[in-house]
Amino acid sequence: MRIRKKYLFYTLAIVSSIAYSLEASIDSVVLYKIIENPWVYCLSFFIVGISFTFFATLFLSIPFKNKSIGSLIDPSFKKIRILKRREIKYQIVAGLGNAVATMGYFIIVSIFIDSSVVLSFSQFVILYLLLIESLAEKNAPTLAEIQSSVMVTFGALLGSISLSGEINVDALLIVLFVINPGWVLFATYNRKLKLLKIDEKLNDSINIRFWNLTFTTIFVFAGIFILKGNIIYESIYAIKSNFSWLLAGAIITFFSVVLFVRAMGMGKASITQAVRASSIIFSLPMVFLISHFYPDFIFAGDTIMMLIKIIGIILVVLGVISFALTEVKAYIFIKAKTGHPIMELFNDIWKIKGITNVAVVAGTYDIIAKARIRTLGKGYERIIRDMEKIRGIENFEWQSILKEWEEI
Amino acid sequence: MIKAYILILTYVGNLKAVLEEMRKLINVESIAVVAGDYDIIVKAKVEKLEDLVELTDKIHSIKGVKRTNTQVIEKEIEL
Repeated sequence: MRIRKKYLFYTLAIVSSIAYSLEASIDSVVLYKIIENPWVYCLSFFIVGISFTFFATLFLSIPFKNKSIGSLIDPSFKKIRILKRREIKYQIVAGLGNAVATMGYFIIVSIFIDSSVVLSFSQFVILYLLLIESLAEKNAPTLAEIQSSVMVTFGALLGSISLSGEINVDALLIVLFVINPGWVLFATYNRKLKLLKIDEKLNDSINIRFWNLTFTTIFVFAGIFILKGNIIYESIYAIKSNFSWLLAGAIITFFSVVLFVRAMGMGKASITQAVRASSIIFSLPMVFLISHFYPDFIFAGDTIMMLIKIIGIILVVLGVISFALTEVKAYIFIKAKTGHPIMELFNDIWKIKGITNVAVVAGTYDIIAKARIRTLGKGYERIIRDMEKIRGIENFEWQSILKEWEEI
Repeated sequence: MIKAYILILTYVGNLKAVLEEMRKLINVESIAVVAGDYDIIVKAKVEKLEDLVELTDKIHSIKGVKRTNTQVIEKEIEL
């Protein structure tokens, strides 16, 4: 099957967001009906989560048709492996971010039982990511990026009003200053990990998830111990009584995060996050589904509130679509100056921001590079200007890609 | 594993038909329609050089293809 890579990216991110909204709905039910203490739920969730993830990663390592079962989820995955030294610092930061975001998340879910509110709140994170990417790339975001981010943010803001019209300021503060910064660390460093080359191949999302969860669990244990003391016996009791709920949550979270990390290796963190914002679309039907089984679950549903929420969701979707439609790709054919070391040129071109592939070729040209940028203007500012500074280039030709199909 | 870029020029008016035939080929990693000196850039991935010859032969036999230019990849890095 040959589909455009862009579609694969959006499929991964959207399936991840469906799983994410399902997980948020399960969390709401468990915290509302079963384990009312968010700290006990958080700890027991991580104990079950790390155990499941370990066995799932082992299972996915089983060889299958000269590859592994896990390669069906992520083609880069071979088997469970020990962390490389250069991964450790990234995993520590990502684990810390995830632990902070998750603990904040469980507090919020215990305040708002409506998962569509919780998920909408989290979508603000896209603005943080956009800012960080702009700083990291020393480049201002494009108008399209700003427009899309504003649409997603205001959409998420409208979507975050609960169906009973409630807005909780404490919860908003926790989201803005605890959950979202934590999630930014998690998302940014997961992307760095996904882009690392391990044994000359791209890092895989399954090992990244397993090790990330290991570090996160350590930080969560430490965090809860400092804040709430020893609640391990209550957590073990909660696991014994509600194992099936916790296992369902662990399975769904595992696939949600693995697909999210894989999507992160294909697109910018802010774009992946924008697509994942679609989780709020899926959370609304799930809230209704849960309230069908638990009639006292929520809310005095009001038509105006529902309309506001739907407008919010439409804004989020429009924001995501405009992100999707504003990407420019190009091939650049390069001829080197005679006598200039080709590997030096190869490395200089690879350093340019926006270059996603460089190949030394035998033929009419010496190097063929591939660029991915937001607009053609960025192609000039970020790529052409940088290439003109490289001494070893005799000349180059820019070939804009109008449409592309890629095998997956 | 051998990878190569095959740069293709088509006769005017034949691009859509050529692309439809091209999408049926095996050993093709990506197909891009471009604006520039060429019309289509195909990235091929084959086991051995003979397979590359076979692939370029198949491309030549597609009605509407005017000229091809094959660039074999010696070293590559990608995101």
